[in-house]
Amino acid sequence: MDLLAQLLVNGLVNGSHYALLGLSFGLIFGPTRITHFAHGPLATLAAYVGWWAAQRGVPLELALLAGIGSGALIGILCYQYLYEPFERSGSPALVILIGSLGLYIVVENFIGAVFGTDTKVLPNPPSQVFLIGPVVITQVQAMQVFALISSAIALGLFLGKTRFGRAVLAMNDNIEMARVVGIDTDRIALLVFALGSAIAACAALLILMRDGASSHMGFNLVFMGFVAVVVGGIGSLRGAIAGGYALGLVESLGMWKIPSEWQSSIAFVVLFLVLLFRPQGLFAGRQ
Amino acid sequence: MKKRRTVIASGIALIVGLVALEAQSQSQNPKTHKIGAILAMSGGASWYGTVMSQGIQQAVAEINARGGVNGMPLEAVIEDHKSGNAQEAVSAMNRLMSIHGVKMVMTSFTAPTQAIAPLADQNKVFLINGGGVSNSLVGVSKYIVHNRSLAADLGRGAALQAKALGAKKIAAIQWKNDAGDSIVKVVHPAWEKSGGSIAAVEAVPQGISNMDTQIAKIKASNPDAIMLWMFNPEVGLALKRIREFGMKQPVIGVEYTGNDAKVAGTHGEGYYFLNDYFQATADYPWSMSFAKGYEERYKAKPEFYAANYYEGVYVLAELIKRVAAKGGTVDGDTMRAALQANPKFDSVYGGQMNFQENGVASKKVGLFQVKDGQNQFIKYIDLN
Repeated sequence: MDLLAQLLVNGLVNGSHYALLGLSFGLIFGPTRITHFAHGPLATLAAYVGWWAAQRGVPLELALLAGIGSGALIGILCYQYLYEPFERSGSPALVILIGSLGLYIVVENFIGAVFGTDTKVLPNPPSQVFLIGPVVITQVQAMQVFALISSAIALGLFLGKTRFGRAVLAMNDNIEMARVVGIDTDRIALLVFALGSAIAACAALLILMRDGASSHMGFNLVFMGFVAVVVGGIGSLRGAIAGGYALGLVESLGMWKIPSEWQSSIAFVVLFLVLLFRPQGLFAGRQ
Repeated sequence: MKKRRTVIASGIALIVGLVALEAQSQSQNPKTHKIGAILAMSGGASWYGTVMSQGIQQAVAEINARGGVNGMPLEAVIEDHKSGNAQEAVSAMNRLMSIHGVKMVMTSFTAPTQAIAPLADQNKVFLINGGGVSNSLVGVSKYIVHNRSLAADLGRGAALQAKALGAKKIAAIQWKNDAGDSIVKVVHPAWEKSGGSIAAVEAVPQGISNMDTQIAKIKASNPDAIMLWMFNPEVGLALKRIREFGMKQPVIGVEYTGNDAKVAGTHGEGYYFLNDYFQATADYPWSMSFAKGYEERYKAKPEFYAANYYEGVYVLAELIKRVAAKGGTVDGDTMRAALQANPKFDSVYGGQMNFQENGVASKKVGLFQVKDGQNQFIKYIDLN
């Protein structure tokens, strides 16, 4: 029972991390329909900015804010100088996807070339460990759960209560109609790229604190975000959160009796099953 | 349009032809002794490629500064297997052979080495491995030698240490690949045969970032000691998580690089590991000059991987000299014959290493323990 309790807590923590990634990816993908594969390495770059600042003596909180801020800025630049030109020239979605993959490779190698290929760790990361009965949870794991909850609440309030938020929802529902009613879709796209990239940067910074950052960690960041969105339902941010938790819990609890070398395959299996039996996702959003 | 296409096609054919001619000219009238290397220069394991290539480049620079080998400089041609991709390794090997005409290649990682072995046999290319650890690499090519201790041998040493600490029940976290499997295959039956038991074996893929599930299951199995059958940087991550989960048992493994130490932080304290015993020491001036030169060049202390590839270049340089002394041309057959005629070579670790009949150099394997953040040498482990 102790093992099951620990696996449940691990699943909830990992689920929070995947949900955060799903939220960030879904926030960009839903309104813009851009499969932003470069999302992962760009979030990694933001984490490296945070690491770089911390290495130079900037207090940890400020270094993390610098990382999140740079994530937002990187997202804006990415949309403005890569995707928007493609969209203006009427490029098909496949061309934009290939552009994104190209950026993925360039950024990942850029990080390795400039910062080196060794793992980057913070000088004094949060290191407290809490015991709740037989269950262990670290300070960073608690921060991962808190990050998801606070991001979800903040985003929910923003989308539901502000003019820009409602514009995002409108684009999410129907981008053409959003243009017809006068929404500046380019401006909203910039906004969602900024917000989505900032949230992804937050997730990447938490990984930096937990395990250290490496130049190739972008793959997991974007892949798990993508799977969470597909499992939860494209166009549904609630679905992205649910998809993330579903992944985290299946990945952890599923290993209770199954050999753990199958852990990495679980995400693919879940994705496959969802696509097979419920292709619209658990919370069917926009088709 | 048709004329334009013809011009472009002709241009491409001309360039290809010139490259082929140049390659042929190089192989017939070499201006340098080309040493190929297929390393992890990109991808998740690129740290290895970085330190290995640095060792190679330093050795090449030193030898060339002294006039090269028989008056001809060495040239390192480094290719990328993208962190263990066998197909990339084969492409890299083909490029090394067809474009650069290399007859000696420094290889790394198990899967790439296995993939290029048949090509080496067909084309008589000498291989030297200073990084791949699986025992399946022994004899994988008739031209391969290894100047590092293989994983199963290090694993046996780690098991000896577990026994010395009084452990009866061990749990293991392994890389789920050839390297990890080769340790489990040799060590676990021997452990059980000697009266011990295996509480749990949890596998992680190379490059994993989250092994909480595996650690939780290891904790639940309540072992006397925890064995890490894995390599950088998962060792550091595993150590960190094991201690964060509150486990106090001794942890014993087969690697601990500077990168692992960074990831593990203070949680690395007390960790035992076995390694080819590279320590720059005043007893061995070559080790000191290598370490000093490495630090000056790269602003970092050398790892034993850098040392292996550094000394590997010196082994190849020595073999080239021996082949030339007999009036031969460098290829797999002549290099192998030269090595078998005298299998002893100076080692940057100190003293000499002796390439055994199976092609594996017997080197000193040391038991280390992390104390106050430093790797403290405990003793040599006799694996025979």
